[in-house]
Amino acid sequence: MLFNSLSFVVFLVIVLALYYSKLFNWTSKKRMLLFASYVFYGLWNPPLVILLWISTMVDWVAGKKLAVEDNQKRRKLWLMLSMFVNLGFLAFFKYRDFLLDNFTTVVNTYGYGYQTQPMDIILPMGISFYTFQTMSYTIDMYLRRTERAKTFLDFALYVTFFPQLVAGPIVRAQDLISQFYEEKRATVNQFIWGIFLLTLGLFQKVVMADTLLSDAVDTVYGSDKILNFWDAWMGTLAFSGQIFFDFAGYSTCAIGIALMLGIILPDNFKYPYGSLGFSDLWKRWHITLSSWLRDYLYIPLGGNKHGVVRMYAALMITMLLGGLWHGAAWTFIVWGGLHGSYLILERLQRQYLPFKITKWNGMFLAFTTFTCVNITWVFFRAKEFKTAWNMITSMFYLNPEGEKVLTSFDILKVGMVIGLLFICHWFMRNTSVEAVSKRLSPIVLAVVWAVMFFLVVISQGSGEQFIYFQF
Amino acid sequence: MHLKQSLIIAVTLVIISVTAWELFWRSQGVYPTLDDNEALWANQRARVEKATNNDILLMGSSRVLFDMQLDQWQEQTGIRPIQLASVGSSPLPIFHDVVENTKFNGTILVGVTPGLFFSTTNPDAQPWQWPQSKVDFYKKRTYAQMSNHLLSIPLQKNLAFISEDQGVDGVKLKELLGKISIGNRVVDSMPPFHAFGEIALDRNLKMKQITVTDTAYANSVIKVWRFFMKAAASGPPPDKASTMAFFLKDLKKFKARGGQVILVRCPSSGSLRFGENMGVPRANFWDDLVKQSHVKAYHFEDYESLKNLKCPEESHLSGKDAAYFTTEIVKIMKADGALTNLKTN
Repeated sequence: MLFNSLSFVVFLVIVLALYYSKLFNWTSKKRMLLFASYVFYGLWNPPLVILLWISTMVDWVAGKKLAVEDNQKRRKLWLMLSMFVNLGFLAFFKYRDFLLDNFTTVVNTYGYGYQTQPMDIILPMGISFYTFQTMSYTIDMYLRRTERAKTFLDFALYVTFFPQLVAGPIVRAQDLISQFYEEKRATVNQFIWGIFLLTLGLFQKVVMADTLLSDAVDTVYGSDKILNFWDAWMGTLAFSGQIFFDFAGYSTCAIGIALMLGIILPDNFKYPYGSLGFSDLWKRWHITLSSWLRDYLYIPLGGNKHGVVRMYAALMITMLLGGLWHGAAWTFIVWGGLHGSYLILERLQRQYLPFKITKWNGMFLAFTTFTCVNITWVFFRAKEFKTAWNMITSMFYLNPEGEKVLTSFDILKVGMVIGLLFICHWFMRNTSVEAVSKRLSPIVLAVVWAVMFFLVVISQGSGEQFIYFQF
Repeated sequence: MHLKQSLIIAVTLVIISVTAWELFWRSQGVYPTLDDNEALWANQRARVEKATNNDILLMGSSRVLFDMQLDQWQEQTGIRPIQLASVGSSPLPIFHDVVENTKFNGTILVGVTPGLFFSTTNPDAQPWQWPQSKVDFYKKRTYAQMSNHLLSIPLQKNLAFISEDQGVDGVKLKELLGKISIGNRVVDSMPPFHAFGEIALDRNLKMKQITVTDTAYANSVIKVWRFFMKAAASGPPPDKASTMAFFLKDLKKFKARGGQVILVRCPSSGSLRFGENMGVPRANFWDDLVKQSHVKAYHFEDYESLKNLKCPEESHLSGKDAAYFTTEIVKIMKADGALTNLKTN
């Protein structure tokens, strides 16, 4: 079920009515939330709920054993079981065809003439998110960094909690399960703020991403021609905005919906296009994934504790795998590799060419970071390397006679939206929507809120899927 | 933060602005209509799963949608057909889907618009891709999509501004922005294309009355047909060999399980008819198809009662003429023994 759909409106009203009714005690409310979460997921593809159950069962049992087991060998085996099942799901459903394709290519270079038939398996929605979330519990249990979930119901709800089930934020066990132990009710202010965040998230998704930017992206990246400098840049800039609004919109909705239930979810985006460099970017973009990768991949690979070479290798491996997490294609790996390279270059610059960031060079640095990020988005969005390469050459003005596919109005529209987005991120980088809203008069806040809602209504989102669902 | 105050003011402003928006569009002559989208088509496709050999499926392009009126068909036969035709489409992907993926062995009426029927079997070409996307949607639709569509029906029926219309008639924000034009960086030579039909829940479609009464409106649609004809003339030629082979293979399979197919060529007129005669002449295309198919076939030009029908925008019949056409052609089919499983009281 999508947040930007009529079914979800009905679903949410029913869930809230039951949650705040006096019919149930807290345990029954949690059961209702769990059931609702399965309905939320099952309305997309009922049989795939079984995967959620398996993941939940395996990690519950593994966590239970890890809580009491002292034998290090056995502890490792329980951890391996969890990793095997969760990563196995990912490998089978997400990476099978990619691995098989590459295997076939390699084998055939030696003249074996091996043929494979793609299985065309459906990718379970949100599998990358919930497997990472549930694995984090077992790993934390193994490392004795978290307490075992008190009941199976709390754990199952942690894995399945519908606001963040299919596209995050990826929440750690200690941050979410403990919230289920005692009855939660949103205060009036929390509830209303939750509705505001839901409106803001829908505005980002329906109006900004789908209405204002998606067409320019599809036109540019759907073109089989070699494009003009302006078209290549505007298509890519539009994508940088589209993916931000799409994903941040989902996270904002998720946080708002959870808040309406009295549950606090962590921030996932903090104005990433106002970042001063790439380390800063990854503290602001998809924060819950980057912190997951840092804690469960970068640090176990050695982090910065074993010398410079090992650190750079760990950084690069983390970013390459981070790229692969987003999609089973070499273009995503290149995207991760570019980010890894940026991070390494940034560390080298800090070591050999340090400079102080001021108000004046800060904006230039943010602009440079944003420009470099856009180069990486080309590989993220392009379906093939050929398209990506054509785009890159056009963006570096190597195809001055390239085709024009965007109208002047498209260019103006994208330029204005992305310009405002960048300025907004720059000025908001050290604050938050909540802090700014507190400074506004209630009437101004109401007008902003009403305008956003009105634009959502007249945009009539026809239920475009969120981009990150495919990851 | 005085959030309660903000919420009350915001809700009030939203109610006022949405009401004003609806009233504005109604004052501009926009009225509530249903969208002929994939979900609406899929609901009809789902009916095929339970259809018996008494049932009739209608397939083809927009001419079958406009010209075959379900009420008149039902009046004449006692059976309300399942409307599966799709605008701008070749009937082949949908026919293929029913042959391959169902056990249906009743009657299928296949509308032959030569420029589309014989156009292509290339899955990326629009006449194939559009109907195929409907078939794919049906196969993959989720319960959430089904409930979204169900919930959207009352909104579509009652609010003018809820509309998926595109281009010149579009009222949603994306379409309104799309109408803004600055300079001529990219030339879009396609003339404005008005929506000129209204569809019902069972996909019975009628021409909008304005197309009949307003010549300028009808002419604007004719300009679009001329644009497409010009584009077709400079594009690849009809792929008669592969389209015929594809159809005949499915037809053989369908006949083998007891199914019956009827071919119908719906009316066209004016310069469009002239263009069709030049580009896809009857003798080479329709007649050859009929000859190789060995099924009942009806060309509007072969019947005194049908051959002088005029299409307001040269390609589709007005609601009144469509009712007449349906009544007459069903009578002809009955007389010819093409429709035998009738439920007449």
